Amino acid sequence: MKRLGVLFAVFLGLGWFWGLAQSVKIEFNTLFHEADAKAMEDIVNLFRAAHPEIQVELVQGRWEQYYAELRLAVIAKNPPQLGICHVNRLMEMVDYLTPLDASPVGNLLELAGIDPSLFPEATWKAGQINGHQYLIPLDTHGWGLWYNKDIFVAAGLDPNKPPQTYDEFIAACEAIKKAGFYAFHPAEDALPRKLRRAWEIFYYQMGGELFDPAFTKATFNNEKGLKALEFLVNIFNAYGWNVVGGNGYAQFTAGQLGMLFAGNWFYPTAKQSGVNFGYAPVPNLFGIPYTWGASHQLCVPLQPADTPKEVYLGAMKLARFITENAYIWTMSGGHIAANKEALKDPRLLESDYWKESGHILNDMIQKGLVRFPINHPRGSQLENAIETYIQLAVVGQISPAEALAKAEAECNKILSEK
Amino acid sequence: MKTIKSMIQNGWLIIMILLWVFPSAWVALTAFKSIQEIFTIPITIFPSRPTLYHFERLFSTWPFNRWLLNSLFLASFVTVISLMVCTLAAYSFARLNWRGRDVLFLIILASMFLPMEVSIVPLYFMTIHFKLFNTLYGAALPIIPLPIGVFLLRQFFLNIPKDLEDAARIDGCSSWGVLRHVILPNSLPVLAAYGVYIFNYAWNEFLWSLICLRDPKKVTLPVGLRLIQGAFELDYGLINAAAFMASIPTLLVFIILRRHIIRGIALSSGIKG
Amino acid sequence: MFRWGRGNLAPSILAMRSFLRRREWEGWLYILPYLLLWGTFIAWPVGYGIYLSLFDWNPIRGSRYVGLANYVALFDDERFLNALTNTFKFVTMVVPLTLTVALTFALLLWFWRGSKILSNLAQAVFFSPYLLTVSVIAITWRWFFDPDFGIVTAFCKTFHLACPKFLADPLWALPIIAFATVWWLVGYRMIVFQAALGDIPQELFEVAKIDGVPFCQQFIRIILPLIKPSLLFSLVLTLISAFRTFGQVLMMTGGGPGRASEVLALYLYWNAFEYFRIGRAAAAGVVLLGLTLVLTLLGVKLLGLKSELQ
Repeated sequence: MKRLGVLFAVFLGLGWFWGLAQSVKIEFNTLFHEADAKAMEDIVNLFRAAHPEIQVELVQGRWEQYYAELRLAVIAKNPPQLGICHVNRLMEMVDYLTPLDASPVGNLLELAGIDPSLFPEATWKAGQINGHQYLIPLDTHGWGLWYNKDIFVAAGLDPNKPPQTYDEFIAACEAIKKAGFYAFHPAEDALPRKLRRAWEIFYYQMGGELFDPAFTKATFNNEKGLKALEFLVNIFNAYGWNVVGGNGYAQFTAGQLGMLFAGNWFYPTAKQSGVNFGYAPVPNLFGIPYTWGASHQLCVPLQPADTPKEVYLGAMKLARFITENAYIWTMSGGHIAANKEALKDPRLLESDYWKESGHILNDMIQKGLVRFPINHPRGSQLENAIETYIQLAVVGQISPAEALAKAEAECNKILSEK
Repeated sequence: MKTIKSMIQNGWLIIMILLWVFPSAWVALTAFKSIQEIFTIPITIFPSRPTLYHFERLFSTWPFNRWLLNSLFLASFVTVISLMVCTLAAYSFARLNWRGRDVLFLIILASMFLPMEVSIVPLYFMTIHFKLFNTLYGAALPIIPLPIGVFLLRQFFLNIPKDLEDAARIDGCSSWGVLRHVILPNSLPVLAAYGVYIFNYAWNEFLWSLICLRDPKKVTLPVGLRLIQGAFELDYGLINAAAFMASIPTLLVFIILRRHIIRGIALSSGIKG
Repeated sequence: MFRWGRGNLAPSILAMRSFLRRREWEGWLYILPYLLLWGTFIAWPVGYGIYLSLFDWNPIRGSRYVGLANYVALFDDERFLNALTNTFKFVTMVVPLTLTVALTFALLLWFWRGSKILSNLAQAVFFSPYLLTVSVIAITWRWFFDPDFGIVTAFCKTFHLACPKFLADPLWALPIIAFATVWWLVGYRMIVFQAALGDIPQELFEVAKIDGVPFCQQFIRIILPLIKPSLLFSLVLTLISAFRTFGQVLMMTGGGPGRASEVLALYLYWNAFEYFRIGRAAAAGVVLLGLTLVLTLLGVKLLGLKSELQ
């Protein structure tokens, strides 16, 4: 009996030591789904193989309530160790994130050896608030112009010269319309937030700004905003280039749509659809060829007070590994990796995605033509206010002037709260 | 003359049946069409070359099987526990006398009107506190104490003749004995009826499962369908195939147990005060 | 079952007293499991939710007690008032329609003198949507009305009808969702009414037939009064269900176009899980609770069905 007891104690002791060695558990929670999620899973699997001493639990796919759940998890002292934060959500989330340069266990960036110079300066700076660095850039992604080469030919247009100026664009739309197809869809599947992004593209191209730098009031209810919204509404109505309620994704995949504004994530679908497609930068319609985009960044949510150093470091190691291997990320999901070294990987440069579309988007990013969404604690509410009325204007319920006025009023109300 | 009249009568009913079933039929038809055929304008009604392509993709891209099992587990767990717990409570309200019994019953009855929306965030914290978050048990527990269960069972128990119980009591039966030997054997219909009701309720529960279950592999069928729809709303073939597959289990059960289910519902609701 | 004449036939006073005492705590014992679950997962969260609604909730920076400020802000918020209006519109569309259609089907099947197979099939078909989950309902009807590839749009195009944009049209979005909800809920209510009709003694109908009473009179004088409990049951169930509507709206239109189909439950969801305004969301939840309670009690009183609840 005694011998059994000793054996048991030894076994326990060994187990305890073995447990210590295995003790770093990281939960990495992302809001990615489908192709993106698969790409991230591949990267994490590589990490697991390279770092068996760190257990990574990967939870993906719940993008709908992601930021609310992240905050609730922090409050409930049960947060993931690594998460995703869109760059425009930083102000909203800042209270719930660990400052990487001033964490409870020290400067995590130094400890993990993350070199800021590997990232474009603007993207890196976007993760800073109040002098602290909260985010590590993962990628930049955005909208481009997808076009159907066969429809171009049928309309008498050159399939290798997509329109890049206002006049070329109008001519192309009219020609495609005459050939009996949907000429142009400016907003992916026409969800409210996509319609808003389309309007923002037109408005930014005119040189407009949504809010003043101090976010005291809305500044889009003006001539430019109106012109941009009228252009958007006319696409679905007066110009006859598309129909209200039309789904750009569906139309393009069915070979019914000549040109589409859509994000890089449309690439797998476009490839699978069998459509002979081409990709071009967003044309310069109104002055500056801006496009809409955003940036995924990695963040470390606020951890409970007694979280050991190894846990923080484990998360940072994972973050660094992800950015270094982001060529997988770009190849699968189409988001352009932020880490400059990852962009040089030959596997990426040789891939179909890069050759057919990625390098064009990267170009736009390098030229600073990608406009990120507004960064404000109540950003999602402001955006919702704007897109509600834009959608109503597009379906013809209210006039563009009325829409902008109402949006402005609601935004100002939101800004004046608290 | 009579045959023509009955033919017209039957005809009307057939038309109504066809109209009513048409939306579901349209989903089923779409599920078997190829992508190209779905996306052609003008649309076709019947698939020219039925294909299982979407179903293959459904099971390979999404953990549909897991969702099915999760839903099954959740609904079964909720049904069993709820039956047990509500029976005990209903028995207590119907047959045992104690202070505050009727007041408490009214309170529980009133809680029938409580929409879960009020409690979402508190429930969130509670499930995290009890380490039930992101588990099927956490998704199940708030659904189990449905007030309507206690209400229905109590109504039925009240209608069981008191003589049977008195006889048993005189025999020296304890309350538990009465429950086991008098109430339960006579209550099988209403227990089955409530069982069916709450199984369906738990199977279709959406809001709390959406919030509580974080891992896409742990969600139930309704939430899983939402994930598919939310991910890439364009994939109509896949979405319709998913909707079709999600309906098959319940429809199969219904076809097999139709008479019992209908009788159960009729019974549980036809109870008068 | 159990045997007669076993044990004592005449319990003594003492035994009687202890018997009664045992029953006191026995009652509580039996109800304990249910009470624990109910208290933990239904009662307490609601209480805490009401408590939350009185705060400007921000655990990281410190929550502030604001009393009724959240409620004031709610009624000052055009979006909330819009959600409230939409919810009322929705309930007004769904509840009467569901009950009417269900009753009609029940009457139709009850008085059916044609083929039995057909009526069984009809019952099964009318009932089966009830078994589908809300996600399937949403997907089905959204696909049905798809503006590019849906069958209704195709129908309109074939017959050259100027059809509205359905789910993209602010005037049609909510009614379509309501219609889908009716299609979903009718089955269960129909069975309930069928059972109630079955309980009516046949003689009443025979006498009415002999007396030459027209069907309308039969309906008002005989049927309606006798199926009152089932009407109450269905009314309450449908009212509660309609007020809490969430899944269909989320998955069919997301509240759009604009906010034309945004109902209270959806407003609450966005506020809690998109804007993280927990205090405000909790207040909206309390309003939802109050509304459901008041209107159900009103409905019960109006129909004079209070006695049935006892």
